[in-house]
Amino acid sequence: MEICGGHTNVIMRYGIRDILPQNIRLISGPGCPVCVSSQYDIDCMIELARAGIPVATYGDMLRVPGSMLSLEDIRARGGRIFEIYSTTEVIKLKKECPDIVFFAIGFETTAPMTAYLLNCGVCCYSVHKLIPPALQVLASGDVKIDGFLDPGHVSTIIGVDPYRKIKMPQVIAGFSPERILRALCILMELIRDNKRIVINGYPEAVNEQGNKNAQALLNEHFIITDSEWRGLGVLPMSGMEIADNKLNAKLKYQDILDNVPQPEDTQCRCGEILKGLIEPVDCPLYRTVCTPGNPKGACMVSTEGSCAISFIHGREQNPR
Amino acid sequence: MNTGIINLAHGSGGREMLELIHSFDFTHRGQWENCDDDSASLDIENNNKLVFTTDSFVVDPIFFPGGNIGHLAVCGTINDLAVMGARPLGLSLGLVIEEGFSKQDLAVIIRSVIRISEETGIPVVTGDTKVMENGKIDKIIINTSGVGIAKSEELLTRDIVTGDKIILSGGIGEHAVALLSKKFDYETDIITDCKPLIHEISAVKDLIKLAKDPTRGGIAAVLNELCEKHCISFLLDEEAIPVKHQVRKITRMLGIEVYELACEGRFVCIASQEEAGLVESRLQEFNTDAAIIGEVVHDEGNRVILQTLLGKRILPVPSGRIVPRIC
Repeated sequence: MEICGGHTNVIMRYGIRDILPQNIRLISGPGCPVCVSSQYDIDCMIELARAGIPVATYGDMLRVPGSMLSLEDIRARGGRIFEIYSTTEVIKLKKECPDIVFFAIGFETTAPMTAYLLNCGVCCYSVHKLIPPALQVLASGDVKIDGFLDPGHVSTIIGVDPYRKIKMPQVIAGFSPERILRALCILMELIRDNKRIVINGYPEAVNEQGNKNAQALLNEHFIITDSEWRGLGVLPMSGMEIADNKLNAKLKYQDILDNVPQPEDTQCRCGEILKGLIEPVDCPLYRTVCTPGNPKGACMVSTEGSCAISFIHGREQNPR
Repeated sequence: MNTGIINLAHGSGGREMLELIHSFDFTHRGQWENCDDDSASLDIENNNKLVFTTDSFVVDPIFFPGGNIGHLAVCGTINDLAVMGARPLGLSLGLVIEEGFSKQDLAVIIRSVIRISEETGIPVVTGDTKVMENGKIDKIIINTSGVGIAKSEELLTRDIVTGDKIILSGGIGEHAVALLSKKFDYETDIITDCKPLIHEISAVKDLIKLAKDPTRGGIAAVLNELCEKHCISFLLDEEAIPVKHQVRKITRMLGIEVYELACEGRFVCIASQEEAGLVESRLQEFNTDAAIIGEVVHDEGNRVILQTLLGKRILPVPSGRIVPRIC
């Protein structure tokens, strides 16, 4: 399983699945931040925007649907939704809209940038998530995953050590097609030799300790809590909540957010697809209510998720 | 997502826009033909075809490296006529301006319109001006329409067969990257590719079967459209597709697909295996990046297949707006 959405993108872009031997099957993991953000959290942002509060977030988050609508739909109806690329844009926006709320998504990689905003006094709604606890869940119990390609960018922040608790063959990989192939090659050797260890296959960017400055920022501004992942449910100690209550939009706007109902259980089976237990076609929602135009689960939200790939390209139709 | 309202994706030239257009019933077309093409055509006297097109231009920012919205509006319509094989005869210019817009900026835009009109010898012969209240529109919207003429046999709507080659007239993504570099404040030498294509198309018109200008949705949109319409598939050689180094770097950095980016001064054309080499070399006289990028293949999928450096992948119809990826 490649954990990171960036890896999935490169694997897709270079048709790497197409050239691998039949005995290697790559499964796209939970490492696309916009995909694993829960419907409930998106519904909360929609509720804030409906109440007239300006919301800023990364562009690819806008089209991801909550239980009914996406932030893009709310913008089309006049909601003040701002699409940003860099968190520094939020600082500029705050001058015009002092009550702006930043919808803070992503993993250990984007969280330090949110910490910078918190330093600047920007109110944030954090759905930041931690990668190792998710890997722990994917590696335990009933799984059909033989090894992980660990995310390169996350590892630049957290270093190598946090992966050691996870008893699974793992290789941290970079983002060029050559680096991914090299990492896959090392991973196959680990699997063959049944070595449940981590190899740093991206030493150009990742060191043992990670980025100490970024880690200090995270420790200062966030506390670790349980977090809901689309497709995987609530995973213990896998989220980063804002430490300063005054800058936490969940508390500041509690009166508005209390109106947001928990979405109904959608029968989505993304969790099992992510664990490699079932194929997309085995999910009752696949192709019926869950499509790329109206995605329900994490695996359909991203064009690189297992279900979207299967829907758009059809494994059986892979060009040869 | 079907929510009953129009959103920005409906104007991005991809799947959503096609679905929207096809949801309306435009069956009454009289004697007009090729109504789903870049321009429609009508039989007139002496084996001539009248060719007609229209296009509206909204762009942010309105001034960008190498051009402006006026420049774009004139080239866009000229090119839609040219890729049909027509000689453009005249243009209309419709302006919708926001109250408070600078007269000086308007003069710069109109000067660009006049300059291209003079350079190409295609006059702007009619127009319209409206002003809307401040805040009701964003600065300026331009619509241009154009008519052209072609002999029936000149019309570039010839049949395509397996083995035909696809030729691209120059590097892709430059116009979109010029806009993106302004938006994201990147320093780059890339300027818009926006220009009239009449001379390039004239140079190869007798050799090619059809041509398309990959504006919104880029080559991903136009090639998929051709696959669908002609029931064919394309196999592209990714390494052969001309993309300037800086364009490649910036699109990688932003995580966006270069094949979906708009070009405003490029075209793809299809020629037989025998003629393709000559087309390529004639186009290289205008732009050294011009290249044969692939061929029509036998495959029942009616799709665009990319042979990458490693494996093959499918280049789908663009969907949604182009936004940078965070991961």
